[in-house]
Amino acid sequence: MQLTHDYIIVGSGATGAIAAHSLIEAGVNVAMLDVGIEDEQYKEIIPNKDFISIRKEEKQQHEYFLGKQFEGIPWEMSKVGSQLTPPRNFLTRFAEKYIPFESDSFKPMESIAKGGLGGGWGLGCYVFSKPELEAIGLKESEMMKAYEAVAANIGISGAKDDGSPYCLRDLQNVMPVSELEQNLNGVFSAYDKQKNSLNSKGVFLGRSALALLTKEKDGRSAVQYKDMDFWSDKDRSSYRSWMTIDQLKGRPNFSYHKNCLVLKFVEHNAGIDVIVKRTDTNEEQIFTCKKLILAPGVLGTARIVIRSFDHKKDQLPVICNPYCYIPTLQWRMLGKEIEQNKTSLGQLVLYLDEKKDNFDVGMAALFSYRSLLLFKLIKETPLNFADARIIMQYLQSSFTIAGIHHPEKGSSTKFIRMMKNANTFTGDILTGQYILSDQEIKTNELRERKIRAALRKLGCQPLKTVHTPHGGSIHYAGTLPFNSYGEEFTLYPNGKLAGTKNVFVADGSGFNYLPAKGLTFTLMANAYNVAKNALKNE
Amino acid sequence: MENKSVFIFEAGQIGNYLLGTAIQDPEKNTYAEAMQKLNIQFSDYEQMLWSSMMKGKRRMAFIDAALALKDPNNNTRRKIFTMLAILEASPNYTSYFLSRKFSIFYLLKIIVVGIRAVARVVVGMVIVKNIKRKCS
Repeated sequence: MQLTHDYIIVGSGATGAIAAHSLIEAGVNVAMLDVGIEDEQYKEIIPNKDFISIRKEEKQQHEYFLGKQFEGIPWEMSKVGSQLTPPRNFLTRFAEKYIPFESDSFKPMESIAKGGLGGGWGLGCYVFSKPELEAIGLKESEMMKAYEAVAANIGISGAKDDGSPYCLRDLQNVMPVSELEQNLNGVFSAYDKQKNSLNSKGVFLGRSALALLTKEKDGRSAVQYKDMDFWSDKDRSSYRSWMTIDQLKGRPNFSYHKNCLVLKFVEHNAGIDVIVKRTDTNEEQIFTCKKLILAPGVLGTARIVIRSFDHKKDQLPVICNPYCYIPTLQWRMLGKEIEQNKTSLGQLVLYLDEKKDNFDVGMAALFSYRSLLLFKLIKETPLNFADARIIMQYLQSSFTIAGIHHPEKGSSTKFIRMMKNANTFTGDILTGQYILSDQEIKTNELRERKIRAALRKLGCQPLKTVHTPHGGSIHYAGTLPFNSYGEEFTLYPNGKLAGTKNVFVADGSGFNYLPAKGLTFTLMANAYNVAKNALKNE
Repeated sequence: MENKSVFIFEAGQIGNYLLGTAIQDPEKNTYAEAMQKLNIQFSDYEQMLWSSMMKGKRRMAFIDAALALKDPNNNTRRKIFTMLAILEASPNYTSYFLSRKFSIFYLLKIIVVGIRAVARVVVGMVIVKNIKRKCS
């Protein structure tokens, strides 16, 4: 079967959704190809209530808190995606089967779900600084307009404070900030008292800019503070890419094709053939289009490009932010009751910018702990479960978790490689290596030490530092680095894939650098620009 | 596969150990369902530990304490951990898990519990060592 479209977009994640939205608004005909796994087990059974009410009233709560197969009781955390709650497990479902990845030193999380990894996004939005954008390979003037357009589309809330230069900058389309929960309010108050001393060391604390509505918008309600952020999207106040896809499905010039795993493309004079292997029938199918926009995520794009260029190169560079988290005890919260109405999202962010140039900034997002349930914390203690339960129930209100991201550049010891493998669905498998140099490890350790010291000043006593395997940050980039020379396996700054006429890449494949700040908002802004560039090229 | 009545008995023993109270039928049934789905397999050594734990909640506490320190991923602990999760995700036992306002004197209880936890490790080590010796 052959189908013809003006534009085909591969992937429905954060970048695919924004690119599709931009093209549909411009009036062109767009088809989206996606495997599109959806949650069919939990969406309907989670009640539209707050966390505490559910815990006190709902007899069947174990079905979604622990999972119907009890998959939410993690015993060994080695599997990719094991940190997801049962209702979010669909994000990584079937990834091992359809897009396998094997490596001892690199454990990326990938998704073929409808809405992609955006379904589990922590919602942090960061407008990158000029030096950061330049290091990535993007132009500030073009990106600022795109940030505004995306903010107007998805809805962002935030505040002007010491953190603003690192997240909102001069963004105009911003809703009022969400109400700060009690645990983090304690940290924020401590910062006010210690501000001068911390600022002199390059430490700044501010409210996070979040893709979280605090006012109604486009049929989505304002945040209801139900503390169910890791379990359900009932009130749709948190932006998820599938919301854009569902919205676009009502437009006559948009078509969504499920069960389509894109293998490769072939460009010819009449257009582009996109070769798909259907996940429902295992049959191959060809879609044709005038222009193709790849947005299945950095690793997905790499697979498609390597196959399309007949494996002329099997090894590509990759960048991923090193990540660790530090559970801390905030003494002033000991033995207190956690408020009923709150959000579990990271509402505060600590920045370490020693040179005060908004470049190579270290970042720690701060969270409290409740809605992920106590038993997972109890397991981390070296005590018997009965005594650990009593102690942790007392301590839980005082836990503040700092999730630290480090800025990252590429190197020859960080790469992915495609290998033939007849036993897989696609006949190949992605492997990789991710090894930091001694100097990089030392720099990151020093940064962590300084962040720990800052946390102590804020009244949060660090308990331990847990380093996740490389890939755990879920921030990937740099496989097809931006440059202007048109070398194969690179992208032009406008997002066009070198060596092609009409193939564009809207995800982070071109990024030459990853700031520690979350990149999703920048990915979306870049996707907006890539779609505009694809239209310009008409 | 063990039959449901064995799991129901285990649920009662574990629940009593974890919360110090009799456990209701819905949670026992959920535990039995979990055990059937998770199908946790024991080695001979783990089976001996488990049989010993089933003799009473104090024994379970000692062995659990020793394993928490020396062998935290032991499959016997996985069964206890599963019951702990089930109890937490039940409206009947939320008061044992949700945060609440504690008086300053509660801190004393925490200190006592901490000391007891350490004492349990010491006794548990002896029991576990004994079982290991018998097993080998």
